[in-house]
Amino acid sequence: MSRLDWLVLGGALLFVVLWGLWKGRGATTGEGYIGGGRDHRWWLIGLSIIATQTSAITFLSTPGQAYVDGMRFVQFYFGLPIAAVVLSVTLIPLYHRLKVSTAYELLEARFDLKTRLLAAILFLIQRGLAVGLTIFAPALVLSVLLGWSLHVNILIVGTLVMIYTVTGGTKAVAWAHSSQMVIIACGMLLAGVMTAYRLPADVSFGDALHVAGGLGRLNVIDTHFDPNSRYNLWSGLIGGFFLMLSYFGTDQSQVQRYLAGSDLTQSRLGLLMNAMIKVPMQFLILLLGALVFVFYQFHAPPLFFNPGPVKQVLAGPDAATYRALETKFAQARTAQSQKAEAYVSARHSGDAASIAAAKHQLSQSHAESEAIRREGVALIEKANPGTNPSDTNYIFLAYVLSSLPVGLVGLVIAAVFSGSMSSMSGEISALGATTVVDLWRRLVGGSQGQREVWVGRIATFAWGCFAMAFAEYAARLGSLIEAVNILGSLFYGTILGIFITAFYVKRVRGGTAFYAALVAEVGVLACFKFTAISFLWYNLIGCVAVVALAWTFSFFQPPQALPEGGSAA
Amino acid sequence: MTEPEKEDMPPILGSWKRLYALVLGELLLCILLFRLFSWAFS
Repeated sequence: MSRLDWLVLGGALLFVVLWGLWKGRGATTGEGYIGGGRDHRWWLIGLSIIATQTSAITFLSTPGQAYVDGMRFVQFYFGLPIAAVVLSVTLIPLYHRLKVSTAYELLEARFDLKTRLLAAILFLIQRGLAVGLTIFAPALVLSVLLGWSLHVNILIVGTLVMIYTVTGGTKAVAWAHSSQMVIIACGMLLAGVMTAYRLPADVSFGDALHVAGGLGRLNVIDTHFDPNSRYNLWSGLIGGFFLMLSYFGTDQSQVQRYLAGSDLTQSRLGLLMNAMIKVPMQFLILLLGALVFVFYQFHAPPLFFNPGPVKQVLAGPDAATYRALETKFAQARTAQSQKAEAYVSARHSGDAASIAAAKHQLSQSHAESEAIRREGVALIEKANPGTNPSDTNYIFLAYVLSSLPVGLVGLVIAAVFSGSMSSMSGEISALGATTVVDLWRRLVGGSQGQREVWVGRIATFAWGCFAMAFAEYAARLGSLIEAVNILGSLFYGTILGIFITAFYVKRVRGGTAFYAALVAEVGVLACFKFTAISFLWYNLIGCVAVVALAWTFSFFQPPQALPEGGSAA
Repeated sequence: MTEPEKEDMPPILGSWKRLYALVLGELLLCILLFRLFSWAFS
């Protein structure tokens, strides 16, 4: 990185921290610290919701996803607008009416304390572990590609986040989110414009889209129903709906963002703003990945974008074979570039037969290159047994470092840091809030004055330290990392089921919901341990199990005690 | 339970139902445009 890149990176991060500190000053009560003063406008809520959801690894891996698999990943978000409308009609008004600070307070009002504590503790476990990975995964990519120390990277991100999050609470997090979203938007927009600009002079934007489409990278919509396919229209609309309903309705890291709204209207508008922006935003990020794919049709890519496992191969007995494959791959890609140029020329000629023939030759050439790449990946797997042979997360940043101009590299890396920091701050702030409101305030009976601000700061600081410690430990987890990633789906369904039961199954009372949730959670864990069911289905299984069991158990509930002088009518 | 919060009107379109229709309509439009996009460049 050049001096200008360092200047841009350092300046951007310093601005985020100082902006968060400045705007978040002045919390004098627990409610002000945790609830952000409940004076946020819809646009601030919307930006904060998007920033919490957009982690650095999402931001790094999405363009890579388009490069490897095309743009169908966008369908994953189709359930979000539907979930946002359902939540605006149902849960958000209820949260506002009850004036709760956390989602789980609602469960005590509807059921009882133990059901509230169960949901809060399930959230603390899954989000507490996930937040460590939020900073570990991008730190790993940066450390591999830039040669930075993984530990220093984690320490810098964690410390910067804790400076403003611990000091200013929810308000500081929301305002820092707004500046982080500006950095992310500028970084991605400029990277997209520069990628289009760096295509060969005779390749227009339209030509680039035809090259990407011809090689199957613009496959945005897949209408075929296939339960084994993760991304199609139906899994996005149905599976995505349940996932988003749970995430935005019951995950405190999101609920806290819109509960900071000055009134019900601002909270609703903030969530709806996110619903309207998210799908087009993901489409544009994927389109950037497709453009990077086209860029590499005219420039030589490496055989494998992650240099870490490649070093392992080159240090082992298969080094010569891998080197030979690299040479073969480079030759194949040179031939492929010529075919891509021929396809563009044919398109300019307008002759349908020439276009079809050139497109066919380009597809064949691409298939040959991919076959060589698969041989390389097989060698990498052999030299690194048990590791993930995917380089999806490395493609975009490797492209940025090798092909974008000085200054923009620093801005894109600042955007990566911003993504990492925005997720971590939203998450540790929510973990701190749940610890204070659902455990300390409810069980210890603390006041909501200045003392609670300090308890909130200590809880947020403790969760931040835990996240950093877990991120350090994650490096030793190896393939267990995937299991930790699955963790969210192990608990989301059960938590959503408790909320749906609370809202729609009126006959169910406190203890019944609690025991139904416990049994359902054991069932989900059994599915994880003993079956091969894809983890995305755990959300649906857990949710349906809680509702069905609670409804069944409700027939065996003891009769409700009536108030003195009351009647059953 | 506290007393119900006043049902505010959204700043645009006059009712929440219309705003929800806008959000869902935008999703539908995106799906249609994406489908056209895939078809046009495949």
